[in-house]
Amino acid sequence: MSWTELETDVLVIGGGVAGCMAAIPALEEGLQVTILEKGKVLDHCGSVGCGVDHYLTIMDSGPEWDTPEFLIKHVPELTDGIVDLEVTSKLIHQMPRVLKKIESFGVNFKDPRFNDYYRLKSFGLPGTYHINFDGTEFKKHIGQQVRKLKGKVLTRTMGINLLEKDNKVYGAVAFNFRSGEWYAIKAKSIVMAAGEVNRLSKNASGMPFDSWHCPFNTGDAHRMAFNAGAILTNMEFVETTLTPKGFSAQGLNALVSEGAHFVNKQGERFMFKYDEKGENARRAVIADAVINEYLLGNGPIYADCRHLPSDVLDHMEATLQIDRYTMPAFYEQKALKFRDEPVEVSISELSIRRSGVYFRGSGLAVDTQGHSSKENLFAAGDCASVSGGIAGAAVLGHISGEGVSAHVKKLNGAKLPDFDSEEINRIKNENEHHLVASGMNWRAFEDKTREVVSDYIGVRRSSKSLELAMQTLSALAANELEMKADDLHGLMRVNETKSIRLSAEVMANAAMARTESRTGSSHFRSDFPETNEKDWKKFVLVSKEKDRMKINFSDASDSLASTFNRGS
Amino acid sequence: MSEEKEVHNPIKIDPEVCVKCNLCDWICPGDLIYKKEDDRTTLPEVKYPDECWYCGLCQSICPVDAIKIIFPEEMINCKTDVRSLLGKDVE
Ligand SMILES: Cc1cc2nc3c(=O)[nH]c(=O)nc-3n(C[C@H](O)[C@H](O)[C@H](O)COP(=O)(O)OP(=O)(O)OC[C@H]3O[C@@H](n4cnc5c(N)ncnc54)[C@H](O)[C@@H]3O)c2cc1C
Ligand code: SF4
Ligand code: SF4
Repeated sequence: MSWTELETDVLVIGGGVAGCMAAIPALEEGLQVTILEKGKVLDHCGSVGCGVDHYLTIMDSGPEWDTPEFLIKHVPELTDGIVDLEVTSKLIHQMPRVLKKIESFGVNFKDPRFNDYYRLKSFGLPGTYHINFDGTEFKKHIGQQVRKLKGKVLTRTMGINLLEKDNKVYGAVAFNFRSGEWYAIKAKSIVMAAGEVNRLSKNASGMPFDSWHCPFNTGDAHRMAFNAGAILTNMEFVETTLTPKGFSAQGLNALVSEGAHFVNKQGERFMFKYDEKGENARRAVIADAVINEYLLGNGPIYADCRHLPSDVLDHMEATLQIDRYTMPAFYEQKALKFRDEPVEVSISELSIRRSGVYFRGSGLAVDTQGHSSKENLFAAGDCASVSGGIAGAAVLGHISGEGVSAHVKKLNGAKLPDFDSEEINRIKNENEHHLVASGMNWRAFEDKTREVVSDYIGVRRSSKSLELAMQTLSALAANELEMKADDLHGLMRVNETKSIRLSAEVMANAAMARTESRTGSSHFRSDFPETNEKDWKKFVLVSKEKDRMKINFSDASDSLASTFNRGS
Repeated sequence: MSEEKEVHNPIKIDPEVCVKCNLCDWICPGDLIYKKEDDRTTLPEVKYPDECWYCGLCQSICPVDAIKIIFPEEMINCKTDVRSLLGKDVE
């Protein structure tokens, strides 16, 4: 193993939307920024390297619904009351500013058909907040801005552990899975932006990397932060969506916002039974309704577009590839014409992200600066406690970038601790061992985790099933150090697999603690099927204390930051 | 078990068309495509075919359209009972 020691002002782990948007203000402030990124090309890495098609934003365009105040007023009902309103309010207020900033990088949000913004209403939001646009080059422009400002990017490099001393985070360990170069990096502050947790449960094709969200985002931020003592929240909530059966891919938003109907095998349009908004309900509600229909024996369920006018169908067809480039090829190879026949839909695999509702993110609890409960550790994007697609990632990313800059300046050149060589050696030995270990292959290990999540922690849970899950997952943990990697690429997967297992265990513990049901199938306890507004307007907080998983609760009417105690 | 099953190759690279530019290797978010750097004689190889996301980035970036995505039978003709994904009743 060859080792390089580096030092930087700000270390960003994950160069996706949130990571790049956090790097930009820090670079503008003249700070040294280093980004660790698993991808090789910053302009195309992360969830949206291939393109996006909708951007949630306030634009202050005139009507009342387009003001921050109006949207903020509706946030509690959008999140069933479990949300950090302080951070969300700041994020919503900053939306117009960050939109303009991204436009200044060269992203064109306008629809060429009308040379204006084309805004659509979807997922239960109380206004037409989504700009529908051709975001094929969205990430490219953001990545270019980072490069223009001379951000340093270590590509094909995976962050695996944080380094901490005296309750403060001061660096990280990473490795390049092509060259085998290992890095110990000291930083005044760190921004976690490694995305959500995927590859977590079974899906219809049975292929773990066939996933709705990016299968290469695997909860590494969650694991690193948890192990360093940071608080994770909302980890009990799972997210699922509807996908064309066999291909776990985006596309639901485009179909729903343009008017597709969901029908069951009897041809019944059932959504109105579940929500007065019908197909325009929140994603969590739609998914829950379809799960219910399947459990009632009303499957298969179909998405039906046949009633739509031909110009709408034309637009759908022409834009099908923007959110998922390969969707037209899938329909073509399947010989399925969505204009003329209903498309059979499935429930996707599960993610830990934001449970199908905007602004209730699952991950590192952060304050209004993006600062987590751990000193010097910030977070943004799909691994943070407030999130919402690319816009949520961009805006909170930018807030964290400004927050981390102010924080680093306040530290005023304070000296960083020496590297803890004992800890670094431990990490090194553990990873070297995986390359010669003879235990379970990471694939088998991960399959086991997925099976447990699907069967016992998924969309139906009870204290018995969660108990079983916790036992199985901690038994698996005992074999973790013997997991086998065939090569450096496999060593990356081994580390991802560890993050997936740990996230599943955190989820099981948090789900056990929340003795009620909330937001449909995001957290459905068959032994506590009712939503309990009286006792459960609370966050479940999970952290590590003396090597054990510790659960705390906090009132959802207070900010998460009110529970932070960075000093002690 | 899975080792015995023949692994489906998610992308087909036309060797006649490929100009061996390395872009697909650089762009793949999963680190699946390996192509020798600075070498205009070797073709890219899909080293970890079962880890494909079917995102199509490789296809979209290829300057000469040498790549085609081929969906496997499990995806095109998926026979799974969706109810099997919805958890087990443990009472
Ligand atoms: C195909 C697709 C289409 C989508 N379309 C839309 C849309 O139209 N509108 C919308 O609002 N949202 C959309 N989303 C969701 C949106 O992309 C995400 O919510 C958003 O990208 C989150 O930003 P992020 O920075 O947290 O994650 P990402 O942008 O995914 O970035 C995370 C980055 O971290 C890197 N990383 C992960 N682990 C490590 C590690 N250990 N070390 C180093 N690097 C690491 C990854 O390589 C990745 O580049 C879409 C998602 C997908 C997958
Ligand atoms: S991007 Fe296309 S041309 Fe370039 S190496 Fe890959 S397949 Fe060949
Ligand atoms: S489709 Fe995506 S994941 Fe699969 S080989 Fe191409 S770039 Fe890689």
